[in-house]
Amino acid sequence: MDLRLPSKVLEHILSFVDSNEDRNSVSLVCKSWFETERRTRKRVIVRNCYAVTPEAVARRFPEMRSLTLKGKPHFADYNLVPDGWGGYAWPWIEAMAVKCPSLEELRLKRMVVTDECLEKIAASFKDFKVLVLTSCEGFSTDGLAAIAVACSNLRELELRECIVEDLGGDWLSYFPETLTSLVSLDFSCLDSEVKLSDLERLVSRSPNLKSLKLNRAVSLDALGSLLRLAPQLVELGTGSFSDKLDQEAVSKLSQAFSEMKELKSLSGLWDVLPEYIPLLYSVCPGLTSLNLSYATVQMPNLVELLTRCSNLQKLWVMDLIEDKGLEVVASSCKELRELRVFPSGAEGLNDTNVAMTEQGLVSVSEGCPNLESVLYFCVQFTNAAMITIARNRPNLKCFRLCVMEPFAPDHKTQKPLDEGFKAIVERCKDLQRLSVSGLLTDKAFEYIGTHGKKLRMLSIAFAGDSDLMLHHLLSGCESLNKLEIRDCPFGDTALLENAAKLETMRSLWMSSCCVSFGACKLLSQKMPKLNVEVIDEHPLETRPDSSPVERIYIYRTLAGPRLDMPEFVWTIQKNPEIGVSHLAIK
Amino acid sequence: MENSNSYSPYSSSSVDSTKPSPSESSVNLSLSLTFPSTSSQRETSQDWPPIKPRLRDTLKSLRLRQRGYNTALFVKVYMEGVPIGRKLDLSTFSGYKSLLENLSHMFDTSVISGGTRDRKHHVLTYQDKDGDWMMVGDIPWDMFLETVRRLKITRPERC
Repeated sequence: MDLRLPSKVLEHILSFVDSNEDRNSVSLVCKSWFETERRTRKRVIVRNCYAVTPEAVARRFPEMRSLTLKGKPHFADYNLVPDGWGGYAWPWIEAMAVKCPSLEELRLKRMVVTDECLEKIAASFKDFKVLVLTSCEGFSTDGLAAIAVACSNLRELELRECIVEDLGGDWLSYFPETLTSLVSLDFSCLDSEVKLSDLERLVSRSPNLKSLKLNRAVSLDALGSLLRLAPQLVELGTGSFSDKLDQEAVSKLSQAFSEMKELKSLSGLWDVLPEYIPLLYSVCPGLTSLNLSYATVQMPNLVELLTRCSNLQKLWVMDLIEDKGLEVVASSCKELRELRVFPSGAEGLNDTNVAMTEQGLVSVSEGCPNLESVLYFCVQFTNAAMITIARNRPNLKCFRLCVMEPFAPDHKTQKPLDEGFKAIVERCKDLQRLSVSGLLTDKAFEYIGTHGKKLRMLSIAFAGDSDLMLHHLLSGCESLNKLEIRDCPFGDTALLENAAKLETMRSLWMSSCCVSFGACKLLSQKMPKLNVEVIDEHPLETRPDSSPVERIYIYRTLAGPRLDMPEFVWTIQKNPEIGVSHLAIK
Repeated sequence: MENSNSYSPYSSSSVDSTKPSPSESSVNLSLSLTFPSTSSQRETSQDWPPIKPRLRDTLKSLRLRQRGYNTALFVKVYMEGVPIGRKLDLSTFSGYKSLLENLSHMFDTSVISGGTRDRKHHVLTYQDKDGDWMMVGDIPWDMFLETVRRLKITRPERC
């Protein structure tokens, strides 16, 4: 009796399976399930564009409608990856243009996207709907014009923190009058002014527009007329909030805000003047997300705003909020899930005498029962604070603490912050992402290795004493997927001893550590399924095996060595005949 | 690799030769990436603290505006080999001469600006708004006040 599920039935069942994690499991059951799954997957996510070739992806998922790609390693966000390293979108777009012309959605993160790429997208995918570029670079506003003019069914165009060559605001005028399908537009990272009349007409003919994020050049006056045209917005990113308006304009703007009954997310607010904060009061109770990272407003004004945001789930703010402001958050924003506090005086110069300490985060951990994600920049911290936070919030999933003074100990006891991070990993059993900082010894990493069983991503800077630190992490953290390390004193032993672990991870980044060139060569030879990239300014051919390399980036791959490496990236394929002297490795 | 329990310098394997090497007390955190940069927003290759380029730029302009509002001009001063720094209000000095006199008094040693590389004297350097370390005394005092972010008194051999 054939007990196999007919493929049509399986297909129908799979149409309810959305999560790619589940689909990946389905594809491992047996060959016929693999076949049915791959033929029905519409949304494909490739989290390392060099882990697999575009052709292989297109071959496996012929019905792909949505492709998400990530390129450069995370530390590229902080200028640690030199320009020209890679992450080019072109090969993917070129391949999909031929093999998956029905592609509708493209989401790219940390990739190099050229105008040529954008023109190719516009020309190749007839039903293209969604383009989301996050932290990408390499294109100009001309490329945007190409997308605007050709994609007649465009729904989403979002540029999130991209570096764009801004040749002017004309690109917006290229959206044809026939385009009425726009749901989301985000050009907040551009500098040039767009023509207001074009923007108003675009907004007027987009009844489905739910998300609009303007750039800084859009004036406060213009904002008023735009809001009147789109009171249905769910997400709004304002432009500059500092122009001087007359009384009539202010009351009109206030009226416009009060008409926005659906607004859930607010951002932008560049340079917002304190006298304009009350304009936002009417939308506060409905907000679930508030991004004040560019709002250089002092604590008293922030407090006025936040006391009214009782439904807030996500808050991004500068440390101008101070401990006092965070206490208000703790008592007013009971639904808070995610908190990010950014530094306002990045080099430690506190002209405004910013009074934000570890106490602020402790207050929020006490007052907000749903808090699960934290990013906190602070000058210094204490173990006691972290222990309290861990006790209050065992439900934390993401804890990223950046103590800005490297090697800063507990400022009350002068001890390392080992015990604090121990409490975090011990109590927060579902912790998936952790960034550590401050003075840390190998003990901290022993604790992380012992308790951080669900940890997937770990970021470390200026920490540890020896190789043991890396060994604890690689041997202990079972779920470890991404590890990024800078300026830590590790060498080769831990890396070579735990080489097999690297195949179970997506990637490992190490910069300004003590990994020798010889170890890189050995590791490359030992682990052929990894790409071991040495990224180093100085030529490596003449380097002795014992000399440390500047950066290494190691990732598992099915695609083999990449063909687009610049001069400063070395892999063993470049010099296969170089022998390895075992004596030279520490 | 030195034990990081003391405030010891980390080993920076990519060092721009015009910068002084990290001192015991003040860690030079701008790893200089001397690769050719195609993107103009990457020219200031500061990489600590880990914040994204757009936020970093916003904060720079915030600091410049704050400069306009404040009359005081506090900067931190470190001497190589001394872990504890001092804070100094530069607006109280009339020029380089009074600054150096004051520093020499404060740190109980002879502090000079550029010029003679004399073994006996400590040399004063400053970090400008681009993150670069420069010799004190090269530019007019007013311009110096606009651009200075922190001061370091180095041992002469390092320069």
